[in-house]
Amino acid sequence: MSIWSWLKLAMFLWLLRKAFRLAGWLLLAAAAVAAWPVTVVTAAGYAAAWLRGWPPARLYRSAAWAVPATVTWLAALEAAQPGFLAARTPGRAWGGGWDQLTGAGLARTFALLAPAAVPAGLALAGLVWAWRNYAITSGLAGIMASANITFDARQWKRQVRTARGLTAAPGAVPLLARGGLIPVGGTIRAIGHRWRPVLALPAAACARHMVIVGATGSGKTNLMIRLWAGWFTATLAAARAGRGNRPLLVVLDCKGGRDARVKAERTRRLLYGAGARRVAIWPDEAQLCLWDLPPDDLSVLLYQMIDSGTGAAAYYADVLQAVITLAVMAPCGPPLSTAGFLERLTAKWLQNAWNDGRHPAEAEHARAAARHLPDIQLRYATLLRRLGSALDGPGRLEEADAWYCILEGTRERSVAEAQAMALTELAARAATSLEGESRAMLLAADDYSAVSGRVPLSNLYERGRSLGIGVQVSAQSWQGLGATEDERYRIAATADGGLFVLHTPYPEPLTALAGKRRVLETAHKLIGNAWGDEGTTREQRAWTADPDLVRRLDTGQACYIHRGAATFVQVARPKPSPLTLLPPPAPPPAPPLVPEPRREAAPQPPSWPPAAGLDDIFGPGATR
Amino acid sequence: MNPDPFQALGLPARPDLTDEQVRAAWRAIAAATHPDRPDGGDLARYTAASAAYAELRTPWSRSEAYADLAERAEADDDGPVTSPLPPVPGGEQSVPPPPWQPLIALARVPARVRRGRPLRLAIRAAVAAAWSLAVLALIPGTAAAPADITGLVTWFVLTGRKDLAPPPER
Repeated sequence: MSIWSWLKLAMFLWLLRKAFRLAGWLLLAAAAVAAWPVTVVTAAGYAAAWLRGWPPARLYRSAAWAVPATVTWLAALEAAQPGFLAARTPGRAWGGGWDQLTGAGLARTFALLAPAAVPAGLALAGLVWAWRNYAITSGLAGIMASANITFDARQWKRQVRTARGLTAAPGAVPLLARGGLIPVGGTIRAIGHRWRPVLALPAAACARHMVIVGATGSGKTNLMIRLWAGWFTATLAAARAGRGNRPLLVVLDCKGGRDARVKAERTRRLLYGAGARRVAIWPDEAQLCLWDLPPDDLSVLLYQMIDSGTGAAAYYADVLQAVITLAVMAPCGPPLSTAGFLERLTAKWLQNAWNDGRHPAEAEHARAAARHLPDIQLRYATLLRRLGSALDGPGRLEEADAWYCILEGTRERSVAEAQAMALTELAARAATSLEGESRAMLLAADDYSAVSGRVPLSNLYERGRSLGIGVQVSAQSWQGLGATEDERYRIAATADGGLFVLHTPYPEPLTALAGKRRVLETAHKLIGNAWGDEGTTREQRAWTADPDLVRRLDTGQACYIHRGAATFVQVARPKPSPLTLLPPPAPPPAPPLVPEPRREAAPQPPSWPPAAGLDDIFGPGATR
Repeated sequence: MNPDPFQALGLPARPDLTDEQVRAAWRAIAAATHPDRPDGGDLARYTAASAAYAELRTPWSRSEAYADLAERAEADDDGPVTSPLPPVPGGEQSVPPPPWQPLIALARVPARVRRGRPLRLAIRAAVAAAWSLAVLALIPGTAAAPADITGLVTWFVLTGRKDLAPPPER
């Protein structure tokens, strides 16, 4: 073959390819012109999706919502001429339209064909838009090599704008949606999850374990308050319908300070709007009673609240534990107040209490520990004085619908740690108590790392899991979730209610939990700045929740990770319905019910003469 | 808590104030009212300004304070009643919804319109009505006319419902 022949063959093949391509485009153009009402709708749908950052699913949903009009049309046709004889009418309308190519004529033809053209056009627009997305993201389309990146960045901006617009609408993101779902905010982008305009979580997700991580100023508070209010509203609605227990929300705000008071006030306003009858703010306005705990739990808690050390200090720890057990488990019953407890930490009281002749071993222990008692009493007096009266009662968690507990974890860490332990114990008691009404409980710990010195977050987590209460924890960063990498991973990986990641500088360990997805990566031969005709495509793995995207999240944006999928969402500020029902005419205010202070049973001195007889008194085993 | 921290610093109640603007406003008031001034200053005003500055120092707390102000303004304007209901002895009883619940929901629609975005709803309604009239004028008496109007009503309901305020139970 000569060079000229080869050139002619190459030219012929190139022309043939171009001719086929041109013929294809011409055919497509002819079809588009012929079915112009569908084309108009398709073009409008495609343009709307492009400009507003909609996914193809949004167009499919619109097409589905247009079907009722089509059904009405078919019913009207059938009513006009039974036997679907009028099915030819659209054909005639379409054919007649070509005879009247005026504005009015075209509008008339479009109106006649709209019931069929709108759903068809929107569905077609969805298909075309899906193809465009696929082609761009896999590298099959676009003129410039950066087309994929530019397209993604532009669509992200539009998706954010659309989601913000949606969250600004008063009725788009209420506190509770149909089916007991908790709306969170407008969906920006869903990867792996089914796309819905508003991300809504089932209330059960909050009743399990949930982790929220976001830096200061990322909108974490808004998100948490929305989830609390949504959970409360959903659980209360279910309880009113007889499908569950009344809610009890316990929030531990572990940083404290002025911001905590502002948040508490806001949470209270919102919960009152959502139907709560009593929202207590602890310790500012309400008290709880530590001494209501069962004696076993109380003695363990009191022992744990004191830092007793290890190594050589283990001896002292053992003595401490023995003394606490003696004081709490005394035959006359557990202490009922701080003063009562401190009173028991004296040799005289303990020996009096146990020296009833039925507990010789305990009486002996009380004698043996006598020389340590002043130190132990001093330590507990100091601790309990620092804790203040907020844990000295009266008050029980069950008496309110929600408790907002403010712990000064930043200012007084050791006190806040002890308080956190006590409150967790009281919550566990409320969850497991068989007395009174059962309650559905959510324990939310905001910035728990501020008080997690002695009770790691994983303990709280496991505790909640074993008690069947929902636990929601938040931290400002991955490192704030726990002291060790292993603990952090355990907390995050077991969040079966989902994981919210807001703006944070190190999201990789969290986004890794969403896993990776399969994507196509196309390599093109570049000619100058543009792509040539040749290239290869191969399968690659990409982050499901892109950490760089998470790093760039704006205030109020979050990434919800659940079951290997991710949804980016614009969180809506929680607001109760402005139509909250007016309360019924209130009865005249009754005097506040203050429980009668319980009187502590003092140990009775041994009766005289004792039942055992005078020999025991004057003999070697004498008690005095 | 200061009822209006913006006012205490002499600033307009805006969420987009910068750190610098807030700091400058506080410094100006602090310099003029500090108790260590030769004239004794104005302790009350200085304290109020300091508290307001603590509240407005960061962008996040500013946006919170602004949102609280907006909520309070809404509440003052015949807004939601958020005081707690009187306690019911014996706890909450489960009450099944009455059979006339749909009628109650219907009766609440005007209030939901009023407390939502009535202007947008009116514009949507006007657009749907105008298109319906155009359809009736273009293709009167055809089977497509009721279908087109059905489509327009569907569009109005689907897009307009988010402009309504949520019902009380949500």
